[in-house]
Amino acid sequence: MNRFVWLVRREVWEHKAIWIAPAIVIAVLLVAVFTMGIQLGPIGVSDVTSALGQVPLEKQTKLLLVIYTALAVVMFLVMGVIGFFYSLDSLYADRRDRSVLFWKSMPVSDTETVLAKFATAAVVIPAVAVVGALAAQLVIAAGGSAKLWMADAGAAIMWQPAALLASAGIALLWAVTAALWYAPVIAYLMLASAWAPRGPFLWAVLPPASLAVLEKVLLHSEYVGDLIGWRLVGMYELMERQEHQLKLGGPAGDVVVDGVDLHASLLQLYGSPGLWLGLAAAAALLAAAIWVRRYRDETT
Amino acid sequence: MTELIRAQGLGKRYGATKALDELSFKVEPGRIVGLIGPNGAGKTTALKAVLGLIRFDGQLSVMGLDPYRQRHQLMQQVCFIADVAVLPRWIRVRQLVALVAATHPRFRPGVCEQFLARTDIRRDSRVRELSKGMVTQLHLALVMAIDARLLVLDEPTLGLDILMRKKFYETLLNEYFDEQRTILVTTHQVEEVEHILTDLLFIDRGRIVLDASMDEMQQSYAQVAVRPDQIAAARALSPLAERQGLGRTHMLFRGVARSQLERFGDVGVPSVADLFVAVMQGARP
Repeated sequence: MNRFVWLVRREVWEHKAIWIAPAIVIAVLLVAVFTMGIQLGPIGVSDVTSALGQVPLEKQTKLLLVIYTALAVVMFLVMGVIGFFYSLDSLYADRRDRSVLFWKSMPVSDTETVLAKFATAAVVIPAVAVVGALAAQLVIAAGGSAKLWMADAGAAIMWQPAALLASAGIALLWAVTAALWYAPVIAYLMLASAWAPRGPFLWAVLPPASLAVLEKVLLHSEYVGDLIGWRLVGMYELMERQEHQLKLGGPAGDVVVDGVDLHASLLQLYGSPGLWLGLAAAAALLAAAIWVRRYRDETT
Repeated sequence: MTELIRAQGLGKRYGATKALDELSFKVEPGRIVGLIGPNGAGKTTALKAVLGLIRFDGQLSVMGLDPYRQRHQLMQQVCFIADVAVLPRWIRVRQLVALVAATHPRFRPGVCEQFLARTDIRRDSRVRELSKGMVTQLHLALVMAIDARLLVLDEPTLGLDILMRKKFYETLLNEYFDEQRTILVTTHQVEEVEHILTDLLFIDRGRIVLDASMDEMQQSYAQVAVRPDQIAAARALSPLAERQGLGRTHMLFRGVARSQLERFGDVGVPSVADLFVAVMQGARP
């Protein structure tokens, strides 16, 4: 087990973007918070914080929850991009620089290698995303309270434990759910990475894209395209059912956030067969990636 | 004692080219075997088959294991440098040593430290910041610190200067090699390894053309610096090869009694390089 931890550690050493990217996001947030009124989608912190004091406590908490969750989403998007390129590079980079022969001279099985890389993409990167999201929330809470304090409003509003805790819970649940939902995508990218003679990006993207186009042209149907689209955004389609209930704005800071329950939306995904079928597909794709890694002749 | 490596009718094709053609050989434990051949002879392919890196036809057993199917078990006992400078360029020396220590049960950190201490390699340098020679030194330090039963070296000293090469082979012989270990090495610089080899395997076009221990080689081959007046008589004994040098004609004989040869001139043991040239010329039309 200890060996496995070392193998994962190796990945983080090699792919510094895993921790540099969230650090940059937080740095940018810090700068943004202290130099300008930050805009997060429709929510401007400077507007909202000034309006915050005027809405009832319960709404304050909900509004804060929306702000903090939006921050988590930014972090998740960034880490999603990192995870995409990490997976694509994971079993290709050492073949490109030929260090694969060094790694293969160690008594580490290809199964261990592939699983360590999968764990990096499906566990470490989401975990870093959660920590990064929480850090971003703290930055915004600190920035917001500084602004409120300067405006002579109650700085404590930003630190409502209910909002902070709930948003931390949502970030964690979101990360776990996203990791499970995207596991087959990670495994597919790793398979492409293990297999591609060069340019894994094209090898990953072209086959499904051409399959979808072929199907459209020849059969006039879109099952492949739908399947891919569903896997990429279906998680959010399932969650969207509640989104229409979130309405911001309105006269005099009347912010309607009732009925937003991301927690329930996320949990709902566990009842969807798509999540579990995806995991089965991930297992099959990983097995294929291990096989290719093991039996591919690296030497020609 | 059973053989450490036993290859029987080993074959490997790359398209239309036969890289290995019914290759058969054995390696006994506790030997230092030089696998020597011209470029494209199949040396590297043979080593890769031994290390389970490629699929092959025929039978091959390394320490009783099938290297292709049981590669993972094999790597517990076998260590190799398949090519120079394949260390990952992004890693720091310190990280690399720690990683090998954590993943290889037979790694001896103290020994590695000892080897590294003799070099100018800084522990927090990244591999890409090291010179080519240093990368090789680092790789060798890692490999020699692994207590493996079989060490496979494919051109281990490529890119090193002559001092480092000499030092490397001295260290290998004096501080690494013992009766429990076996070393299989390929190199172009035959002169530098011939004093440490116990066995010779000459390979050409995927086949073994000479398989002998150094002792056997020294007993059955002789090089004679033939005096000019003896040339015709010497040629009558059909030497394997003939070359001119310093006013004498040097002829290489196999299986001719020493007493018979001494009449022609000074008799000596051929160098591996001379033998190699002679055997390769003989093997090719």
